[in-house]
Amino acid sequence: MPVPPWRITSVLRRSETGPLVTERDFDRRVLVPEIKRVVKEYDIKYDPETPVPSDDSLAKDIWNAGVDLFLSVGVFCTSTSRRMIFTDDELKEALWNYHDSIELGIGQDRKTWSPRSIEDPRRPGCLFSPVGVRCSEKNFVKLVMAYMQEPLADAVSTPILEKVDGGYTKTHSPFEQQGGSVHALNSRQAAIRVGRPGMAICLTGTALSAASQIASSNPIWGARPSDIRLVSVISELKIDHDLMNKALHFRQNGANIGTLTSPLFGAYAGIEGTTVLGIASHLQGLMVNQGNYTCYFPIHIRHLNNTSREMLWLVSLSYQALASNSRLISGSNGFAVAGPCTEMVMYEAGLHGMVSAVSGAAVLWEIASAMNKHFERTTPMEARMGCETGLSAVKSRLKRSDVNEIVKKILPKYEEKLGNAPLGKTFEECYDLETLEPSKEYQEIYGRVKAEFRDLGIDYIY
Amino acid sequence: MKMVPPWRLNQLLERVETGPICTERDFDLRILYPKLRSLIKEYDLKFDPEEIVPSDDSLADDLWNAAWDLYLDVGTLCLSNHRRILFEESEIKEAMRFSSSEITVGTGRDARRMGKREIEDTRTPHCILSPDITCDEEIFTPYTIAYLQEPLADGVCAPILDTIEGIPIKSGSPMEVKASIAHAMMFREAARRVGKPGLNLQSVGTAESDAAQIAVSNPEWGARPSDTRFVPSIAELKIDYSLLNKMVHFHQYGGIPGALFGPLYGGYSGGAEGTALVGIAFHIMALMVNQTYWSLYFPIHFRYSYNTSRELLWVLSVTYQALSRNTPFISLSGGFTDAGPCTPMVLYEAAAHGLASTVSGANLWEIATAENKHKNRATPLEARLACEVGYGSVEERLKREDANELVKGIIAKYEGKLGNAPLGKMFQECYDLKTITPSKEYLDLYEGIKKELGDMGVPSI
Amino acid sequence: MTENALIERLKESIIAYDEDEARKVAEEIVTADIDPLKVIEEGISSGANVVSDKFESEEYYLPELMLAGEAMQAASEVLMGGLSNEKRDEMEARTVGTAITATVFGDIHDIGKNILSMLLTVNGFKVIDLGRGVDSMEIVQRAREYKADIIALSALMTTTMPSQKEVIDILEAMETRDEFIVMVGGGSTSLLWADEIGADGWAEIAPKAVELAKELVEKRRRG
Repeated sequence: MPVPPWRITSVLRRSETGPLVTERDFDRRVLVPEIKRVVKEYDIKYDPETPVPSDDSLAKDIWNAGVDLFLSVGVFCTSTSRRMIFTDDELKEALWNYHDSIELGIGQDRKTWSPRSIEDPRRPGCLFSPVGVRCSEKNFVKLVMAYMQEPLADAVSTPILEKVDGGYTKTHSPFEQQGGSVHALNSRQAAIRVGRPGMAICLTGTALSAASQIASSNPIWGARPSDIRLVSVISELKIDHDLMNKALHFRQNGANIGTLTSPLFGAYAGIEGTTVLGIASHLQGLMVNQGNYTCYFPIHIRHLNNTSREMLWLVSLSYQALASNSRLISGSNGFAVAGPCTEMVMYEAGLHGMVSAVSGAAVLWEIASAMNKHFERTTPMEARMGCETGLSAVKSRLKRSDVNEIVKKILPKYEEKLGNAPLGKTFEECYDLETLEPSKEYQEIYGRVKAEFRDLGIDYIY
Repeated sequence: MKMVPPWRLNQLLERVETGPICTERDFDLRILYPKLRSLIKEYDLKFDPEEIVPSDDSLADDLWNAAWDLYLDVGTLCLSNHRRILFEESEIKEAMRFSSSEITVGTGRDARRMGKREIEDTRTPHCILSPDITCDEEIFTPYTIAYLQEPLADGVCAPILDTIEGIPIKSGSPMEVKASIAHAMMFREAARRVGKPGLNLQSVGTAESDAAQIAVSNPEWGARPSDTRFVPSIAELKIDYSLLNKMVHFHQYGGIPGALFGPLYGGYSGGAEGTALVGIAFHIMALMVNQTYWSLYFPIHFRYSYNTSRELLWVLSVTYQALSRNTPFISLSGGFTDAGPCTPMVLYEAAAHGLASTVSGANLWEIATAENKHKNRATPLEARLACEVGYGSVEERLKREDANELVKGIIAKYEGKLGNAPLGKMFQECYDLKTITPSKEYLDLYEGIKKELGDMGVPSI
Repeated sequence: MTENALIERLKESIIAYDEDEARKVAEEIVTADIDPLKVIEEGISSGANVVSDKFESEEYYLPELMLAGEAMQAASEVLMGGLSNEKRDEMEARTVGTAITATVFGDIHDIGKNILSMLLTVNGFKVIDLGRGVDSMEIVQRAREYKADIIALSALMTTTMPSQKEVIDILEAMETRDEFIVMVGGGSTSLLWADEIGADGWAEIAPKAVELAKELVEKRRRG
């Protein structure tokens, strides 16, 4: 039988019986020294001149370092202060038995996601995502519909309701639960309105706590087993019981689980260490979160993005390592610094999409803009740019070295602005809320940047 | 027809977030306590040990009026955000005006009516049978079947798992979610095995946290919309987010939420009079805050967790009289005995509880034994006797004064041992786990006591 | 007013759970420069004992107990404020012991724990009450921080009892189990449970728990 789940009872037991350690000691005495050790031992070095390396042995070293790190550190359960440790054989068993592909959505809207290899000619899956941006109840349905109507979208993610019925959706409060239900109801409604009733929807972002998340599961009006449900990794290599409760519920209700993981560059490790952590987080996703796939968004601790030179290096190598050493299905989730309706965000999205796709990401999960923290500052145009550029790079049979050259040409256009990027516009300013069409201004920017990419060798279909 | 609850759900949630800020200590000592003292004085409420089941309607009405004042004044404290939830008189009146005094629980042939009862009502009480206690994992199914097969059971609450696959269940942990789902599935299966697939299964005792409780909602294998569920309260007159989360879920998923509260005699509510007032106020809170269709009410002694003493039988009798005369509330009286199964004392206590409750206007939830803290220590026999005596009192058309004399007679047999009662035996010592029938020893004892009670004039069926 | 009359007034104010009066009398006592040790023994402690007895006999219920506790607290603060460092050390040395009290993780029921905290205080313990639903690791860390003699853990629900065990497991894993007396209690617990998880003591009700706490501390002091 395919994994996950991998031996659930045994995993639960480990969170109660593993070696005891305080969180402080886990961070300082276990995690940090081990990251330093593996980076040194496997001799991993970042080269700013090659943001998209073509060195297979480097990818292999990163994979091996990630496995080594995961096996030596394990996963810290913050609810019990215990380390959950796994053996090499256990990890191999889970990896060997990992399923070939996953299905999302139902009926006509069903899609399949499969693993890919480096420079794979097969197209990656596409998820259009406003990620975790805050949104008003008034605009929620329209915003989600705008994403859902995109033809490339296999599935969509949904924004977070900031308030419901006038109350803040504060976690663990009944307003959160109400928000979770409204979120699920509205998302289903949006899918029906665009004529994709069986489409997989990432649910339910408004429900952070396990209770609210579980309460939004309902085969008729809420989150279905065919939707996308997420269980986070706590940075770095941590989990808690609330998250494990969600995982158990999703597994028992037949839903696919996506592991949500975001190693932070600049927190516990430098760029090389963070790349290795990214691999180890994928392994946690498989063994602890019991995820069928991963939503991977490594980010810079200050700029909250992954479109800078070193972050693109990290993204590329993470996917090269995963693609050449495992069949793990992972979605590369872009985080841009600039906001919608700016040239910068278009460049960021395009680069993130092509680097991910050519490096072997199974899914393009595009894209958070304006650092994912400004109210309603996200539109489907950024996601469209990320996915179209990624798919076209694949279709154009670009090699890693080709992409490396494009990246080096485009990066200087925004590299200097990372700490001071334009906020851009809100959804309401970029889209006509009645027709759900993007503004002329934004369409022009989009066309201009696309033309630039086309000149550099991306053969867009349309 | 269902109208209230829910009563203006969004308005309630907003109030939870905007009510006056208050520390718990101030709520207990500076708000609740002085108000209780002054109301007891103002209404001249007095417990009389000779009138355990009083026949004084004006006492019942005074208690109701005092409890009304109490709740309007004090309201409910939400512990999660330290805010008081307060209501206008007109709001409570609106909710009461539209609240249902009769509901249906369970489905199909196993559906049952659960209704509000009057004092000395000629309708029999709705009976839910429950061991209210943890059990060994391996005996869960026979234990549950033993309760499900009782003919008097209009609904059943299963024992609580405290391990799953050998691992202890800790509240809030994934083990709790796992165990709660196992509980729900085994419970459903047991009901089908006894031929009552649609019976109301009070779900799910193993799930303490909101996440676990919500995770068992599943129309195929878990808790159905036709099952009753709990939104507990916290002593005294308190609530928190986790409990409100359950409430919101039950209203959105479907389900028949009931409030659960046991004011503590000797705790913040003080003596018998204060405990009764808090008990009645809790029923108002159940409608307004817990947003429930029915209540399970079990005032208990704060040290020994029983409610079969003189004071506590008085508390529950006057509470039900006050509610019957003044409200549409559906409420079940939960029994807590001091003695354990297979002892004469537990049977006397069960009889006293069933009798005092039924005549005073309650439905029955029977029965926790042995101070409700010893694993596997409760059986359907005590519960059966309590319900049989309740039924008997209806059939014999007993009046409160008759019940008072009879209860005093029964209490005399065990009163001296309260606080130091025999532990009795465990379920597996009282029942054959294969045939799921009571042991000869316990059955003989049960029949003997029933006869003895009959000779005293205590009716049963 | 004579020395004894003032002390008697303080005692009465505590029995009458009158916080304002207790504070006022304590201030007069500081002005009159009466030996604080004597005041504490004959005024506060002796008043506390009466309150404790009334609670035992169900003449007082929980609110009276808590209010008397607040009156004691108010008087003690005034008296301690007027003390020299030397005297304060002497007072501290007379503490029966330090107790950490908590309702364990996942459990919201804290009335029993509140009673215990109050009774321990009345009986001369320094009590650090961590509240309800406290994380097991937090309990252990606070116990170490305060160098507590006793860790008293309350749990009402059966599903929260394992958290009592968890605290003991953590102490053992950190090799500090011997430093503390661990007592468990609460509605669903029993002596059998306490033995099963390796607790040092269990009591059915708070007043018995206080007696037990005194015995266990005394036993440990004797080695």
